[in-house]
This record gives sequence, structure tokens and C-alpha cells, in this order.
Amino acid sequence: MAHYVTEEPIYALATPYSPSALAVIRASGEGVLSLFQPYFTGKLLKASSSSAVHGFIVGKEGHRIDEVVVLKYEEGHGYTSEEAFEIMCHGSLPVIRSVSMLLEEIGIREALKGEFTYRAFMHGRMDLTEAEAVEEIVSSKTAKGAGEALERLSGSILAEAEKAKDSILNILASLEVQLDYGEDEIPEDWVFPSEEISVLRSRLLKIASTFRSSRLWTEGAVVVIAGRTNAGKSSLYNAILKENRAIVSPVEGTTRDYIETNAEIAGIPVRLFDTAGLRNTDESVEAEGIRRTESLMDKADLIVYVIDSASEDTAPSGSNVLTVYSKLDITGKRSGLAFSSVTGEGLEDVLDAIAGRLTENLESVEDVPQIASDRQRKKLEEAAETLLEAERNQDFGYDVIAMYLQSALTSIGELTGEVTGEDVLDRLFSSFCLGK
Amino acid sequence: MRDYNAIVIGGGHAGIEAALAISREGFSTLLITQSLDAIGRMSCNPSIGGLAKGNLVREIDALGGEMGHLIDNTMIQMRMLNKRRGPAVQAPRAQADKFSYSRLAKETLEKEGHLSLFMDTVTDFLVDEKTNCINGVVTERGWRISASVVVLTTGTFMDGKIFIGEYEAPCGRLAEGAAIGLGDNLRRLGFHTGRMKTGTPARVRLSSLDLDEMEIQEGDDPMLPFSFDTESVERPSLPCYVTYTNEETHRIIKDNISRSPLYGGKIIGKGPRYCPSIEDKVVRFPDRERHQIFVEPEGIGTEEMYLNGLSSSLPEDVQHAFIHSIPGLRHAEIMRPAYAVEYDYLDPLDLYPSLESKVLSNLFIAGQTNGTSGYEEAAAQGLVAGINAAERLKGEKPFILSRTESYIGVLIDDLVTKGTKEPYRMFTSRAEYRLSLRHDTADQRLTPKGYAVGLVSKEKMERLDRKSEDIRHVKEILQHVKIGEKSAYDALKEPEKDILSFDIPALKGYSESILTEAELDIRYSGYIDRQERELEKARKAENMEIPADFDYDAVDGISSESREKLKAIRPISIGQAGRISGVRVSDIAVLAVAVRSIKRG
Repeated sequence: MAHYVTEEPIYALATPYSPSALAVIRASGEGVLSLFQPYFTGKLLKASSSSAVHGFIVGKEGHRIDEVVVLKYEEGHGYTSEEAFEIMCHGSLPVIRSVSMLLEEIGIREALKGEFTYRAFMHGRMDLTEAEAVEEIVSSKTAKGAGEALERLSGSILAEAEKAKDSILNILASLEVQLDYGEDEIPEDWVFPSEEISVLRSRLLKIASTFRSSRLWTEGAVVVIAGRTNAGKSSLYNAILKENRAIVSPVEGTTRDYIETNAEIAGIPVRLFDTAGLRNTDESVEAEGIRRTESLMDKADLIVYVIDSASEDTAPSGSNVLTVYSKLDITGKRSGLAFSSVTGEGLEDVLDAIAGRLTENLESVEDVPQIASDRQRKKLEEAAETLLEAERNQDFGYDVIAMYLQSALTSIGELTGEVTGEDVLDRLFSSFCLGK
Repeated sequence: MRDYNAIVIGGGHAGIEAALAISREGFSTLLITQSLDAIGRMSCNPSIGGLAKGNLVREIDALGGEMGHLIDNTMIQMRMLNKRRGPAVQAPRAQADKFSYSRLAKETLEKEGHLSLFMDTVTDFLVDEKTNCINGVVTERGWRISASVVVLTTGTFMDGKIFIGEYEAPCGRLAEGAAIGLGDNLRRLGFHTGRMKTGTPARVRLSSLDLDEMEIQEGDDPMLPFSFDTESVERPSLPCYVTYTNEETHRIIKDNISRSPLYGGKIIGKGPRYCPSIEDKVVRFPDRERHQIFVEPEGIGTEEMYLNGLSSSLPEDVQHAFIHSIPGLRHAEIMRPAYAVEYDYLDPLDLYPSLESKVLSNLFIAGQTNGTSGYEEAAAQGLVAGINAAERLKGEKPFILSRTESYIGVLIDDLVTKGTKEPYRMFTSRAEYRLSLRHDTADQRLTPKGYAVGLVSKEKMERLDRKSEDIRHVKEILQHVKIGEKSAYDALKEPEKDILSFDIPALKGYSESILTEAELDIRYSGYIDRQERELEKARKAENMEIPADFDYDAVDGISSESREKLKAIRPISIGQAGRISGVRVSDIAVLAVAVRSIKRG
């Protein structure tokens, strides 16, 4: 059974896990500020305690995740009385996911249920009356919050994980029996089951990889707005976001790189990219922008290709391309899916078409069991990695191999339910004829 | 006026350790047994140690217990098990001359100044109803003997009943009368009892065996000691023999299975899965063509041989038939039959980790009475119960070993936190941190604790200090000598390297055991580091104590299932609470908060 500890940095979503205007993500623990600072453009470390710092959260690859306000708490000041910060970010699911994933990546783990409150109390932050209120919060009857929504395993994925757990348990039992019964009772040597382990590892990695397809729902579909320079891409982008985040300009080649933001179209979380216009250019900076656009188009779930109604441009071929015609207000021509970002005419149709194409894509992955959270993906990859370690250490001794198998089992157990020593013994006794 | 400071009921492996621990700390102690001739008797197999159990024996010795000395002086074969399978799970096992073992145990008890021995059967307790404390015992012959603390170690004798086919008799061992009456009185006092079952195979006569039809199994040379006090063992080494059952054996058993009291429903107690009777093995694993049988000597100067692997409760005529179907045993003269024994045990969930009863204060319970099996498991509990009885007499805090530092800690924590449904045996896989629980490090883990309670002598403690110093020196030397590119220290982390093959002059003065122990420390260091963080978390939770009088009903946020379990187990720490099966993490958090608030308030 897991225990709360107060040494590890933790984070949790303090607002509900559902689309809303604003989300608050809280992190606490020794060293959290310096862990987070490299990924935040504001000067968090220099700020005084309990002050708000504005800036961008920047991902590991250097891309901006969101524009946010961060509240800083030095030790002794925040809710938990530990060194802490609170991020106020945009309340869309993709943003929440991206920020959470970043925090996980930099070594801040997701808090267990009630863990913040627990820490607050342990650090003497609350008096007894408050503590009673805390108990109410912590008690499992009332706490149906963010954590659980992120944690749920779908039935099919659970079945897959159970299968993997079962295989490891069998291997472990066959090894444990050698450790708990001497060589005179069980003279056969144990042979490292390379074949089985490798099948198992690919199974685990395969489940882990379903995270990429299910990411369409949890992390957002990648939608890239592309087209020639000055085709009206940024205008469409802005129109979709209904806010002036991209630079809109009639001068060709303004958006030299791409701009990314998170949005929702008909309830589907979307990572929307406004890209550099595609044209041949000698200008090196812009050429780099175009190259990046092309690579972005490669991984797009949907390319919205914008054509100026007045031009002779044609859309590239591809099953993930949606062609739309801009500047309906100027040309008045209605060929195909046309819109005007000035009057707003036709925009609804464009959005519907985008949503339609995205759901079309989603249907094809529905049969595959999918995992819903990055934490689950990590646990599965961790288990696969530990099995690899077991293989690497196979010459060392059964006791060491057993430790790795045990640890792989623990990783999966954290997804499916705990595996106890008693489970291993049960398997051992039911599979082997033992006892002198 | 008390007759004695302490009374120990039972003279088996648990009773011996308990009586010695209390009396060696200077308290007047009375050991009451049904038979003085049966002190330290090996009721079943004539061997001590084995995987995980060997570690227990060495831990007992490290704490100042007696079992290591007893077996070192009476062994007639010794083997180090799991030599190839991993040093962390190696353990010694020895065949004992069971008659010498028992005699030496009695002699050792008799030499103890503060210890008296008395032959009688305890049938009831004297209880101070106001304080709910035990005050002494009542015996079958009418003695009422008072004491401040009592240790109960009844083994298989409490309402024991043996079965051989249709035959049954009220015995704890064959032809040794059971302790009748105590079980009923304990139930009346509110103890939760249950039935368990175990069994033992037939003994056959050596001169009637066809030895040339069996494989011979020799012991190790030299024989290595269990006790950290023993420098070397100079004892005769006798061989064991190995043979196998066959289809004919299995047919005889299957044809007569209805005559087994196990399958006929006469035995209700649960037997151990890890040590099944031969009829169990044949029924549960019908695909197995043969089962291994070890033929082991019971001592020097006796012809009795123990048929390890053939425990049974089938009728004697069936036993004769299936034994005679086995190569090597075709002409065997059967001297004692195999039998099953069923007995009362007390639910170990009624115990604190000090092995003190929650039902009656100042009563400590150890051994098979708590639902365990095995001499080593019994002795380990006996020692801990004895130490705690003495600590109580001194007015000191309970002596509790943790899971992270010892197999004994794992054993007792499992018993008092999870209980047991079958006779509990120690397995290495029960220990989460077994890489850190090597048998050769038992002294470093536990001797300082034994010294602190006054059971370990100054010399033993000083010997440990010298050993630790030597190991430290060896590691230093290894760090400063190069083997190829690396230091000798780092070279040892490769599995094929071996410290004994190193040609390092500075190491010449150190014994093989010191060198090997240093080598294993180094070899496992990387893997142990991996465990260390987990271990640290565990220790923190263990250190958060829950007061003995903690009122679970006064805490609001705990779910009702968890509350019931916590009230029944009464864990002493948040760590123990977290291991109770079915108690939720969130409930543990609430509990931690509540416990914390009491400390402040």
C-alpha cells in the first residue's frame, strides 16, 4: 500500500478537469521553484513570496505551452507551508494536459488524493477545526475530483494490463520457487525466458503507444492551417480562436514560423497551428519557417489548406487535407467550402467540416484499447524498461533478476491494483509441486 | 507475593528461547513442560535451517538466542543452499542428531541459574479481572503458580489430535498426550482459536534399506557454523539418500484415497500448501510421474531414517504398500508410521508486534500456537516473546524488529498484521528487502540490538566491531588497487569477477568469510541503492507511532470497513496500518492526520 511522504515534489489540478476559462495547477515540495524556473519565462526565483509573476510556460523542446500567471510561495507561506507555486493557465484540456506532462517530466509527480491537505496538516498549517474539514475532503466519499478522471483505466486496457501482469507473475513465480526451494528439491536450472520477456515488453510498449492515438482526445488533435502566403491563414486562425493572438497582416510572409495554440472545436480538443506561407523564397529565415511548416504538416491529424478564392492555387492531395476558400467577402465566389474572416460568413461550416473530419479519423482507432493518461503510459514504459534491465542483468543471479521482475510487477500493479507477496506465493503453490 | 518473575509454558523450540532470554536477563523463570524428556524435540524433520529459515537461525544467534549453538554442536551434515542461484538468498541447512540436539537443549536450560524446570500440564490461567492481566497458571495436578509475565508456547499440543487412517488419538505427537482443557479455558477468556493441521512421514530402519538403489547425497566440506560465536565445526558428516516414487506408488495412493482422514473430511484444520502430504501431491499434480523422496538420518547411534517427502495420514497398511513400492525402500522396516496432527492455534491478529496478547496483558505467545510451522519460526518468536517479557519486567518499551532489517521482523509483522490461514512458513519472497537480509550480515543488522537489551555479551559485540572494521578495511584496499582499467572495487561489480581470485597482497591477512562478505556488499551495492529510497519511505511510516489507546471511533473520515480492521488489529504505527489488507490509502492519510493532531493537542 502506498503511503504519503512529504519529501517528493507533487502537483495537482486544483480546479475540475473539464474545459473552463481558467485552470489552477498547484505544485508543492522542496525545490519545486528551481525545478520549474527553466520552463517559465517569468523571473520566479527573484520574485518575492506570495507575489504573482506573468510569463510563458515553455516546453522541453522550447515551444510555448501557454501564457500564464504563476503565484510563488516560499517555504512557510503557501497552503502546504512548503515551497510551492500555483499556475493559473487557460482552462482547456490540452493546456492542462501539456502543463501536467511538463511537470511530470521535470520530476514533479501527480499528488495522491488528499495529499496536499495532508502535507498542509503535517506542516502545522491548520488547526484542529480545519483538520476536521480536511478529513471530510480526504475521505474517499467526497473526493471525486481531477485525480480519478485522469486515472480510470478503460475495460479493454485493464484486460491487456492484467494479461501482462499475469505473465510476469508466472515468470516471477517460476523464479521464486527456485529461490525458496533449494537445488536438491528443484534441481532444474531456471533459464531466463528471453522470448517471453520480449513478447511481454512489446505488449507493454504497444499498450503504451496507444496513448498516442488516444491523445487526440486527451491532448488534442493536431490541426495545421496551411496554404500559400497571404492566403488568409492567420485570419482563419484568429477567427477560430476569436481572439487576436496571431499577427494578422496583409504583408506576405509575416508568420515566419508557426504559432500554436490550444482550442476546442465541437468539443474536440485541438492543437491549432498557424504556419508560414508556402512559397519559394531565398530569404533564409523564411525558408526555415517553410521547412518547419512542412514537417508540421507531416504529423498533422488534419491540414486545413486555405486557398485565396481569387487565386489559382490548388490544395495538395492527401486524405488528411481539408480545402477551404478564403476572402468570400471580396470575391463573392462560392466554390466548395468558402468563408470570410471579415464577415464571419461560412465560418461555422468550416468548423463543422473540421470537426467532421476529425471524428472520422477518430473512429478508426476506437477498437484499439487506449490509455488515457501520461502517468499510465509512463508506468507501462517503466515496466518494459525494468524487464529490459532484468534481461541485461540475467547473468548476475536469480535474486537480482527477481528484484527487477518484482519491480516491473509493481509498476503494472499501480495501474491494475497491487500485487502482494502473498499473490506470488499463491501462484507458486498452485503451479509447482513443492515440499519434501 | 509472586512465585516467579516469569513462567514459560512449553519446552519446544519457542519455549527454550523464551526461557533463556528471560532468565539470562536475571529474572527468576519457571519453564513448565508436559515432558522433561521432550525438551527441544524435533517432532518432524531432523534438520535446522534452509532457505529463509537459515537466515532466521542466524538472526536468532545474532540477537543472543540459542538455536545456532545447539545445531552447531549437534549437526551431522551441513549444506549451503542456493550457491548458484544468488548470494542474497543463500542459506545454510543442517541435518541434526535429533537426540543430541534435544539433550543439549535440556542441558543448556539446566545450566541457567535463574531458570527452574518443572513437569506438569498447564490447564488454565490465573487472571486479575480488574486489570485484565495474567497472574499465573493452574496445572493439571492442581498447582497454582503465580508470575508477573507468562509466555505461552503450546506447539501442536493444545487439544492435539493425531490421525493415521481410521485411527485417531488425543496426542500432540505420536503417543504423547495432548494438553486438554487449556483450549476451552482460553476460548472462555475470549481468545480466538482455530484448527490447523500438519503431518510427518514414517521412520524406517537403515539396515533394511537397499542403499545401492538410491542416489547418495553428501554434505559440504567443511561444515559451516550457524552461530557467529562458532569458529569452525568439527563434526561427523553422514550422507542422505534420494529416491523417487513411481506410477505404482501413485496407484496405491489413489486407490486408497477415500481412507485418508484428509479426504474423508475428518480433519478440518488447514494444512500447509508448501509441505503437502504425498496423497496431496498425487491428487493435485496428477501429471507428475514421480516425486522426490529424501531419506535422512535422525542421528548418530540410531537406525531411524526420516522419509522426507512422504508425509501421510493414510492407514498403516496403505503406508506399508506405497513405501514398499519405492526403490531403496522395497524391504524397509517401518519403525514409526506417518501421521497427521491437528491442533488449536490462537489467531495471531490478537497479538501486538511485541507478541503480547491483546486479550490478556502480560501474556506473550510464541511459536506454532500463533499459526506458524517450523522450528526456526518458533524459536524466532520465542526469542522475541522472551525479550519482550523481560522488557516488560524491566518497565521498558517493547522490542520490535522491522521488516526492513530482519526476517524475524517480516515474520512477526506478517502474523500480527495479516494473520494466517495455513501454517505460516518463512519464505524469502515474503521479504520486500531480501537483498539486504543476507544470512552473513545478520550480526551487523541485529547484534547491536541484542546487546542493547542485555542479551548479547560484550565479547560478541566486540567481535562484531572487529569484523565490521575488517570489512571496511578490505573495501578501502579494493578501492586503491587497480584491476586493469578499474579499481578492484568496481571490478567486483561484474558478475564473473571473484575476490578470492584477486592477487592483492594487502588482502592476505583477511579470512575468506570477511573477503566474501565485503565482495557481496560491493556487488549488491547498486541494487541495494535501488531499494534504499523505498526503504526510507517505509522507515518513516514505521516511525509514526499510533498511541495504544487511540480511539478510532473518534476519527470521522475513516471508512467503516477500514475502521473495523484498524480496531481489530490496533496497529502500532502508520506503517503497520498501511499493510493491513483492504485498508484504503485515503483512510491511512486521515489516520495520520488524526494521530498527529493528538500529539499536538
